[in-house]
Amino acid sequence: MTQPIDTSIYAAVTAAIQGEAKRILSEGQVTAIVGYAAARRKGSAQPIVISQPDDAQKLIFTPACVNNLAVYLTKAKKEIPKTGKIGIVVKGCDLKALAGLMGESQLKRENLYLIGVPCAGVLGSTIQPDTELTSDSIAPKCTECNERMPPECDFVPAVQVPVNQGLEKKYAAEIARLEALTPQERWAYWKEQFSKCIKCYACRQVCPFCFCEQCLCDRNKPQMVETTPRPAGNFAWHIVRAMHLAGRCAGCAECERVCPMDIPLNLLNRKMAKELKELFEHEAGFEVQEKGPLNSFTDKDDQSFIK
Amino acid sequence: MHPEKPKHDFEPKIIAFVCTWCTYAGADLAGTSRMQYPPNVRVLKFPCTGRIDPVFILKAFQQGADGVLVSGCHPGDCHYIAGNFHARRRFAAFRKLLEFVGVDLNRLQFSWVSAAEGGKWVEVVTELTEKVRSMGPMVEFKELALEEQWSGAIDTPELKEAYEQI
Amino acid sequence: MSRIGVFICHCGENISRTVDVERVAAQVGKLPGVAFSTDYKYMCSDPGQNLLKKAIQEQKLSHIVVAACSPRMHERTFRKAVEAAGLNPFLCEMANIREHCSWVHEDKEEATAKAIEIVGMMVERVKKNRVLPTITVPVTKRSLVIGGGIAGIQAALDIADCGHEVILVEREPSIGGHMAQLSETFPTLDCSQCIMTPKMVDVANHPKITLYTWSEVELVEGYIGNFQVTIRRKARSVDEDKCTGCGVCMEKCPIKKIPNKFDCNLGMRPAIYVPFPQAVPNTPVIDRANCTKFKTGKCGLCQKVCGPGAIDYEQEDTLVVEPVGAIVVATGFDLYTIDEKPKGSAIKGYGEFGHGKIPDVIDGMTFERLASASGPTGGKILRPSDGKEPKQIVFIQCIGSRAREKGISYCSKVCCMYTAKHTMLYHHKVHDGQAYVFFMDARTPGKNYDEFWRRSIEEEEAVYIRGMVSRLYQKGDKIVVMGSDIAVGVQVEIEADMVVLATAVQPQKGADSLAQKLGISYDKYNFYSEAHAKLRPVECATAGIYLAGACQGPKDIPDAVSQASAAAAKVMTLFAKDKLEREPIVARVKEGGCVGCFACKKVCAYGAVEEKEIRDRQGNLIKVVAYVNPGVCGGCGTCQATCPSKSVELDGYTDEQIVAMIEAL
Repeated sequence: MTQPIDTSIYAAVTAAIQGEAKRILSEGQVTAIVGYAAARRKGSAQPIVISQPDDAQKLIFTPACVNNLAVYLTKAKKEIPKTGKIGIVVKGCDLKALAGLMGESQLKRENLYLIGVPCAGVLGSTIQPDTELTSDSIAPKCTECNERMPPECDFVPAVQVPVNQGLEKKYAAEIARLEALTPQERWAYWKEQFSKCIKCYACRQVCPFCFCEQCLCDRNKPQMVETTPRPAGNFAWHIVRAMHLAGRCAGCAECERVCPMDIPLNLLNRKMAKELKELFEHEAGFEVQEKGPLNSFTDKDDQSFIK
Repeated sequence: MHPEKPKHDFEPKIIAFVCTWCTYAGADLAGTSRMQYPPNVRVLKFPCTGRIDPVFILKAFQQGADGVLVSGCHPGDCHYIAGNFHARRRFAAFRKLLEFVGVDLNRLQFSWVSAAEGGKWVEVVTELTEKVRSMGPMVEFKELALEEQWSGAIDTPELKEAYEQI
Repeated sequence: MSRIGVFICHCGENISRTVDVERVAAQVGKLPGVAFSTDYKYMCSDPGQNLLKKAIQEQKLSHIVVAACSPRMHERTFRKAVEAAGLNPFLCEMANIREHCSWVHEDKEEATAKAIEIVGMMVERVKKNRVLPTITVPVTKRSLVIGGGIAGIQAALDIADCGHEVILVEREPSIGGHMAQLSETFPTLDCSQCIMTPKMVDVANHPKITLYTWSEVELVEGYIGNFQVTIRRKARSVDEDKCTGCGVCMEKCPIKKIPNKFDCNLGMRPAIYVPFPQAVPNTPVIDRANCTKFKTGKCGLCQKVCGPGAIDYEQEDTLVVEPVGAIVVATGFDLYTIDEKPKGSAIKGYGEFGHGKIPDVIDGMTFERLASASGPTGGKILRPSDGKEPKQIVFIQCIGSRAREKGISYCSKVCCMYTAKHTMLYHHKVHDGQAYVFFMDARTPGKNYDEFWRRSIEEEEAVYIRGMVSRLYQKGDKIVVMGSDIAVGVQVEIEADMVVLATAVQPQKGADSLAQKLGISYDKYNFYSEAHAKLRPVECATAGIYLAGACQGPKDIPDAVSQASAAAAKVMTLFAKDKLEREPIVARVKEGGCVGCFACKKVCAYGAVEEKEIRDRQGNLIKVVAYVNPGVCGGCGTCQATCPSKSVELDGYTDEQIVAMIEAL
């Protein structure tokens, strides 16, 4: 049954973001702020980088603010952090990505001014931007979100996030469904999904953790992974991608959102997150961790699978 | 010479990734002790299981392996202090991923075989070979390799229409 | 284009019996890149090696595959031969067709087919092999020894006797450590000071040893062969060069009643003091916390009476930097104290034993001081409370040790023996006294140890009671010890005059922070970890740092001395060459691809990965990348498997080589 989701706080959040952005820009605390602004289509939003106090009024927060802005601090946009201390508007899920990036020496906390957003959820990737946020239109990741107030930020608007009761956990349900299948059935499922892949690498481009300057999958000496968009190459790419993100992925689901072929990429990430939690009690969180689950160990780790 | 030796319709290809200090030495010991085991296994030597990248396992399956064995030193015996501990975590996660995408984990074996365990090496290799032989060839990756281009089903009416107009 | 030579060995008949070597040679000869292939009866023999060398020259071969036995057997042999023929040794690989093929299969057809595949795989691998030059690291032939107890002294003397300079750093005012505190030593009962002090003097007089007492290691930088160690020399307030050690200052010092730590606080010392008369160096130190001059600005008596004018109230801590090539850590142990437990410590105390509350409940080291001829009682066993001679004395073993629920699960190793010794010393000094020992079991492995323990029972009349003490309490001037004798199954109650607790051996306080400075690992008790429990028991995983004595785990004197000499031997092995040579199987960072996530650093067990800044010509920081120190790298390759972009590569086991092998299948 479709149930509405209360997004009434978003207006107050927008106002608070604008006020804070204006203040820190005019006081010179930051040189730029990465946030969301209204885009051309009705109700839509897009990322924006502002550096003038007057532009603060452009900032918004709506259910259409789906992007994880953390990606604008690494990779192609590396020059932005170099200009000085940067403000960034973050939802809880995005903040986890930032914490991960700090743990991997890609960002420093002291170079960031975190504007946390109390978030009741954003729209799913296939939903029109001016749609009302409901239990049907909400992004699947938001159905599993427990941290709607990002902690340890420099500024968080003082509003209470309404509690959404009883949203069905979409990934957990889908993972459970797939786990119940036979290996052959799972293979058939993923073969179908991966064969849709056109190797556009949008998933790689949008992922804050795919910050390698040269991707393993682009290398040809040796060619570890076939680069062509043939089924075999696609399969290898998606496995390598999931493995490289295991223990690092913060669950922003941007890969899945940007996939033009609607491959359920975040399912793989969530599955790995679930396994790492069960195996090593690791979960992506807000705290900067010195070591991830796959570059640390204990002498008591599970080895029931080893003969 | 060996009339009792059964002939099989299918002989699997098994690739073993082993560390040089324990399992490779264990396999050497099996040799010096003249133990016998099926000839299906090809051994790739690494300094340490810590060096073994999950991509190699994937690559081995793609290159036609029907079974893969990864074997190294027992916990605490690593010549490089902790390489096998890192490997243990890495492969604990990787096998879950392979399982999730539909690889039958019966084809992927992990073991600790020390330099003194020639017998265990024989046991592990024989068991894996026999298990994989009874399972038949690993067709999934082979079929995948034979498929050319986009094989996704054109399953929506508008796509079908667009396709037919081309 | 590579011109690969393949040499198939018959190994007598060991290979050729089950592998058709000629067919292998013929088949492999057809592989692209193979210029020459042949078979020979014994490749490892002189004629075999000459065949190989000749072929390299005549056929202008660029890469070599020898298909023979296990590389663990003869890889070195063939690489040497290849080198002699003018090729880089790392352009030679072995294909194992004996242990992994001919010896484990009987069917000639199958074995031959397998051998062809194994050799083919190695042919593909060797094509990707690169020239690897031997790595050399310069070695500074000076060493640092941290800790001046028996282990540190032994290591320092051994190294110095070999002609290498040694810097010996000791935290206390004098070297000697715990051994200097002991009365007599098991199993021979010779006087500890008599065997210890000559060694201390040797250290002081050795021209190759620089002794820094009252000093601590502040900072350690660098790596094997090339450490830079900063040492803090704490202000002594006495000029070591001027002081003659006459001791007048100590006699005249008006503050006399400061408990002396060396005597387990039983004896008293002045504010300017040496911890014990045989101290090395015999230079006093002013205890500034208790000195009137430092507290009020008045007094200054010691300065007035000092003939050579050695007293310097203005002295400050100084830092010295010493370049060394190797470090021996010998920081020793401390005894578990029952009364003081740091907050949040996993180790729980033994409140039930009243240590620190009942004055006549003492620990083993305090008993040593009572029994020592140079101790506070002149060697008489007297109760700390009233100075009476105890007629009934109870020793309780395993206090802290082997008690998982109390936080320590290990055995402290020395207590069974020293308790047996204590019962003897007691019996020798108090003839009409009776000693009781509560014990779980007696652990006496060691030369003449069990005989010694039996002697304490059979000749020295100690009564051993198997069982633990549940409680003890003061009753008048007696201490009531309640325990169980599990051998007989009865409860025992003894009214003792004095109780001695065999408290657990623990690492020195601050062992963890020193380990962090050194970059060495330690266990949950703060004992330092050796690189391999069995095969590398004196080396740390961090190259160039070695362990001696009880800092690694509880040890008695002979064990500590043996390990110290072993550590010294390791240092001397390192110093035997001007440059450290090592196999070039090390990881190398490709800086272009490295994004500085430092996953490699996180997994490196050797601490070989450093952070390196890449700057442009103007000095602007471009990025921070990983750098693998080739002198420190162990060569496991865990970093490469962990690196997401494969920007670190293990020479000799590169992805190219491995993928080539997989693709050959």
